[in-house]
Amino acid sequence: MNKVFIKSLSKRIVTSIITLFLLVSFLFVLTRLSPGDPTQKYLSAEFSPELKEKVTASFKLDQPIFNQYINFVANIFKGNFGISYGYRQPVLSVVWQFLSFTLVFATLSFLLQIIVSSFLAFKSIRNKGKLFDRSVLNISLIVYAIPAFVLGLSLIYIFSIQLDLFPSSGLRSLDFESNSFFGKIGDYIYHLSLPLITLSLAGIALFYKYLRESLEDVYQQNFILNLKASGYDQSTILKKHVLPNAVRPLLSIAGIELGILLGGALITEVIFSLPGMGRLMMDSIFARDYPLVIGCALTAGVLMIASNFLADMIKMKLDKRLIKGLIN
Amino acid sequence: MNNRIIVILSFIFILLLSACKSEQPEYNNRIVIGIPADVKTFNPLFALSVNEGAISELIFLSLIDFRWNDELGEVEAFPSLAESWDWAEDKSSITFKLRSDVLWSDSTSFTAADVVFSLDVYSDPEVQSRLYGIFEDFYTDEQNHINVEKTFIIKSDYELQINFKPGSSPDLFDVVHPVIPKHIYEKYERKDLGTAEANFSPVSNSPFILKKWDRNQTITFGVNKKSFLYDENSVDELVFKIIPDYTSRLTQLKMNEIDFMELISAEDVLELSEMENMIIKTIEGREYDYIGWNNIDPELFSTSGGVTPNKFFGESEIRIALTYAINRKEILEEYLYNYGTLATTPVSPIFTYFVNPELEKYNYDPDKARSILSKHGWSDSNNDGVIDKNGTEFKFTLTYPGGNPLRSYASTLLKNNLKFVGIDVSLETMEMGTFIEKLLSKSMDAWMAAWYIPIPIELKAFWYSDLYNTQMNFVSYQNSAADKIMNDLLKEQSRESKRKLYFEFQKIIHEDQPMTFMYWKSNIIGINKRVVQKTISPLGAITHCWEWTVNR
Amino acid sequence: MLVIFWILILVFRMKFLYNLIQLWEKYFLLLTNDLQKAIQLLDSQLLDVLISITLFILIPALFLFFRKKLKFLSININFSLAVLLTLLLAFVFAPIITDENPEFQKDLRMTKLLPPFSKVKVLHLKAGDISNSSAAEKFIAFKNQIVKQSYANNIIFIDNIKRKPDKIIYLQKEKSGELDLNRVQLKNNKSIVTNKSFILGTDEFGRDIFTRLVYGVRISILVGLGSVVVSLLIGLSLGFIAGTRGGIIDIIFSRLTDLFLAFPIIYLIILILAMFGNSLLTVIIVLGLSGWMSLFKIVKSEVLSVKNKDYITSAVMMGLPKMTILTKEILPVIMIPIIVNVIFQFSNVILAESALSYLGLGTGNSYPSWGAMIESGQQYITKAWWMILFPGIILIFTLFSANNLGKNLNKANISVMH
Repeated sequence: MNKVFIKSLSKRIVTSIITLFLLVSFLFVLTRLSPGDPTQKYLSAEFSPELKEKVTASFKLDQPIFNQYINFVANIFKGNFGISYGYRQPVLSVVWQFLSFTLVFATLSFLLQIIVSSFLAFKSIRNKGKLFDRSVLNISLIVYAIPAFVLGLSLIYIFSIQLDLFPSSGLRSLDFESNSFFGKIGDYIYHLSLPLITLSLAGIALFYKYLRESLEDVYQQNFILNLKASGYDQSTILKKHVLPNAVRPLLSIAGIELGILLGGALITEVIFSLPGMGRLMMDSIFARDYPLVIGCALTAGVLMIASNFLADMIKMKLDKRLIKGLIN
Repeated sequence: MNNRIIVILSFIFILLLSACKSEQPEYNNRIVIGIPADVKTFNPLFALSVNEGAISELIFLSLIDFRWNDELGEVEAFPSLAESWDWAEDKSSITFKLRSDVLWSDSTSFTAADVVFSLDVYSDPEVQSRLYGIFEDFYTDEQNHINVEKTFIIKSDYELQINFKPGSSPDLFDVVHPVIPKHIYEKYERKDLGTAEANFSPVSNSPFILKKWDRNQTITFGVNKKSFLYDENSVDELVFKIIPDYTSRLTQLKMNEIDFMELISAEDVLELSEMENMIIKTIEGREYDYIGWNNIDPELFSTSGGVTPNKFFGESEIRIALTYAINRKEILEEYLYNYGTLATTPVSPIFTYFVNPELEKYNYDPDKARSILSKHGWSDSNNDGVIDKNGTEFKFTLTYPGGNPLRSYASTLLKNNLKFVGIDVSLETMEMGTFIEKLLSKSMDAWMAAWYIPIPIELKAFWYSDLYNTQMNFVSYQNSAADKIMNDLLKEQSRESKRKLYFEFQKIIHEDQPMTFMYWKSNIIGINKRVVQKTISPLGAITHCWEWTVNR
Repeated sequence: MLVIFWILILVFRMKFLYNLIQLWEKYFLLLTNDLQKAIQLLDSQLLDVLISITLFILIPALFLFFRKKLKFLSININFSLAVLLTLLLAFVFAPIITDENPEFQKDLRMTKLLPPFSKVKVLHLKAGDISNSSAAEKFIAFKNQIVKQSYANNIIFIDNIKRKPDKIIYLQKEKSGELDLNRVQLKNNKSIVTNKSFILGTDEFGRDIFTRLVYGVRISILVGLGSVVVSLLIGLSLGFIAGTRGGIIDIIFSRLTDLFLAFPIIYLIILILAMFGNSLLTVIIVLGLSGWMSLFKIVKSEVLSVKNKDYITSAVMMGLPKMTILTKEILPVIMIPIIVNVIFQFSNVILAESALSYLGLGTGNSYPSWGAMIESGQQYITKAWWMILFPGIILIFTLFSANNLGKNLNKANISVMH
């Protein structure tokens, strides 16, 4: 069992590395092919052709593309992703400054999505067919169809402009440092409420839909009906038999969703002026900051693959438990 | 049971909210300025964007303090790090007497060595500062690097003589750049200066010290009480708050969350001016929109570098006709609400003494446009509503960078204007980076863009015929008479003869009409009434902002 | 549903329809008289109008004629189907539903940012001298009266007018102007002043939001369908090849799929758009490029599973060409999952297009796309809520309906399989 596991794990790691390598190479070619170049931002009345040459040379963009690529690959294997043209800092340290926010924000949103959607789904299934169930179902369908920017803008309009309850942008207040510990947490909540709602609602609707469907399916399966008929405790049935079965289809979706969240919530970050990966990536594309573009993409790729992997692991674990349960 | 938990949770939540709101003090001696993008560096060598430039000049002072004089329409020099300066009789050198009471924020004293080091670094090819290549009046090596031995004579710690190359015509602007601390930056290799840690935690010589930099959120400056510019009314803190979204920025201005904001849309001025807490000011004449007509044929230039007149816009008369056909005034009135003036030449109206008042403006007159066009053989021979000449229809694409409401507005109107005289324009928006690439390669027929003009007047960088070295001459304007004037201007010293040359240049440009000059746009600024400031000038909204104070 | 649409149009646009039919007639006359000229005059706008009016007349006729054969007419129409059908109708009949040009703007001072149900007074001026010499010129004059251009020289929007003996003074907000009497259209020696209403208000350019929404349907559906077709072509062909050939090709294509799935696809879209321009065509292609992966997976796995079934192997042994078998056997099986997938993809694309417009990378200002409308509305969120609300609602309804339809189809499919 263990050997098989290690074998499949190593196989997976190898394919992931190949995929990431291909991704990075693909982006490398794409950025080098594109019009526009990083020296553009030097453009001013003082801009001289000599300066352009110097800058281009210092970015090593004057060499043939093939040499650039060889250099680039060699550096990557040394763990060196180069210096961001714009930030004038190593790519990884720039990425880290933005990633830390995204990690927290994405995790919070993900937890919120899981908790709220399972709460609603269980409540729905308990009141199946009743008003609560039907209305939540329909609302979730509508909510799922609301684009993030429409939702975000509406929330700002209602809660920031009309009611003045929440700020329309930013992460912290100016007096953040002077606050007590709870004040700091409160300040974060104060600033992040609207963005979290914007980011999470669609996910809540999606998870809710899947979870409710699979719960419904599982409850209708014969063995559950049998268990019920033989008088097993409701909560034991739920914990031991319903949950593991119902959660499985949700897991792969959750894995993908987490991956996407960790890649940066572009629209939400733009609307609420938050310093996350999404905006970093977009800005680096617009600024033709090639090393940073590739660094961001790679980070997003690693996180995406990792979260899918995590989901699969949990799934396997559940399967094992299921098998064990059946044998017993 | 669940419901009860929810009620309790939301109760706690609201408590927390009210807690954090009440912790904010009522009064603070702090000014908050809203800006759209974070800076990437504080080092003036690499400050490429307008905001980076302005902020780096707040922390690194220069030898001389330039201030705008409205009456003269020119900048005037005042002492700053230098107490006084003397030009040699023949202008071959200048001697600065420096203040002896200036300390860097780490308490090291400021000396002449810092000035020498700064100019040395600015011109070093290894460093790639934004000013590399402009030190033509100095003794330099073949790499344009200033020769330190020949150029600088450090007479004492506080007296410095700078020698210039014989035959050059130096002025103060060649020498005066923000001074950076030698004792900090000499620790780095020259080629690593761009990425130096010190760029992110600057040691300053101004009234401001960087207190905290929260990337993409806020930049907080504290005040340096040891600075010679400090006085007791100064603010305690100057904060730049980064708010990329315009609407959010405006909302925060209205709600007193920020005190100051630039580049307000004319659209919003009425509402703001009705608010009690708001003062509206404007900076005139720093930026103009224009429609670039490619004077040369883009295809030939991109394939072989050859220069032939453009088949549509090659003749100056045609370009004049196009200017006649465009109703610039309507855009100015209806979209900019007259926050701006119609532009005639690239010389801004703020340079009052140098603006040629005798040029007859090309006001909106579609009939005149039509008659000029038909005089040149453009008429609608096949009745399809589009004029043509020798079988070529007058059809072209006007490109403009996306994301600018004024330009998409103007282009929509302009399309209708030109349709009216029988010219078929299709519009195309383009992402900024790609757009600039196309400008540099001169591969577009027509486009709309803007110029932010330097002070003092700079013409050669934009209008000189040498298309390789004058990269900013996007329209590929070539006129030898204009070239001669621009060269003469560099040597001329007296104000009167300069004026004559500027007048002559403007006349030539006006008659050649290499582009259609649209309008000088005002930079509209909203300031909270609690802030007292007297220093808003064309030099920039936040220059000299150490003089701002807060009303109690 | 369809009947209601036709009746509504007939009631509200009676006069306009009549004019259009006249236009057709005149154009037909011109065609017979001066063929070359007529073809020269046929620009996309005129073509558009003529096609819609033709269809508008033809479709009911055809329906009446083939009433018996069209069974699908009797299926139940639910909300989502109704929404999608309305969109389809708006797509085809945009020039009939609204007689305005989506780009029309005039007298900004008067028409900018008007709330829904606003009315503005219109003063009619004399059009320029029309020399009614040739048939073609007459036709042009008539066409310009009916098919609206993005500009108009024969009207101005006003608040009020004052009549003086020899001239007319008009007021536009705080500004006033004068007009010579002989420039104004007169009826019984009185100037003609009518009302123009903007039922959903206007945007910052003084353009009618209703008209732009109707034309926006075209852009959004065009982008949606276009990129779905691109995805479909890529996904189907790659999946089919990978499934039938297997081996190294399969591995290469699978790696490619992994590559596209390995990081958030929105960045790839932005990257490509930023670098290669954001024209309508690139937006369609790029969005198409971003959604073929799931189709590829479906097709490939179905091909693989069918390939190994006994009856296929025996059919191959009997000497039937392999390709024909696969096509015949596989297509029906994968039809439904593909359709479901395509519908979801369609709604994803519409959403992505509007998100791109929001980020300033959409199809630009020249086309009235919903996303672009919402984006420009964001600037005016405090002053003009209608600029965001109406396109927002339409967008939500469209996505909701597409998702719902996909879901129902999926359910139906699963129950059939069981």
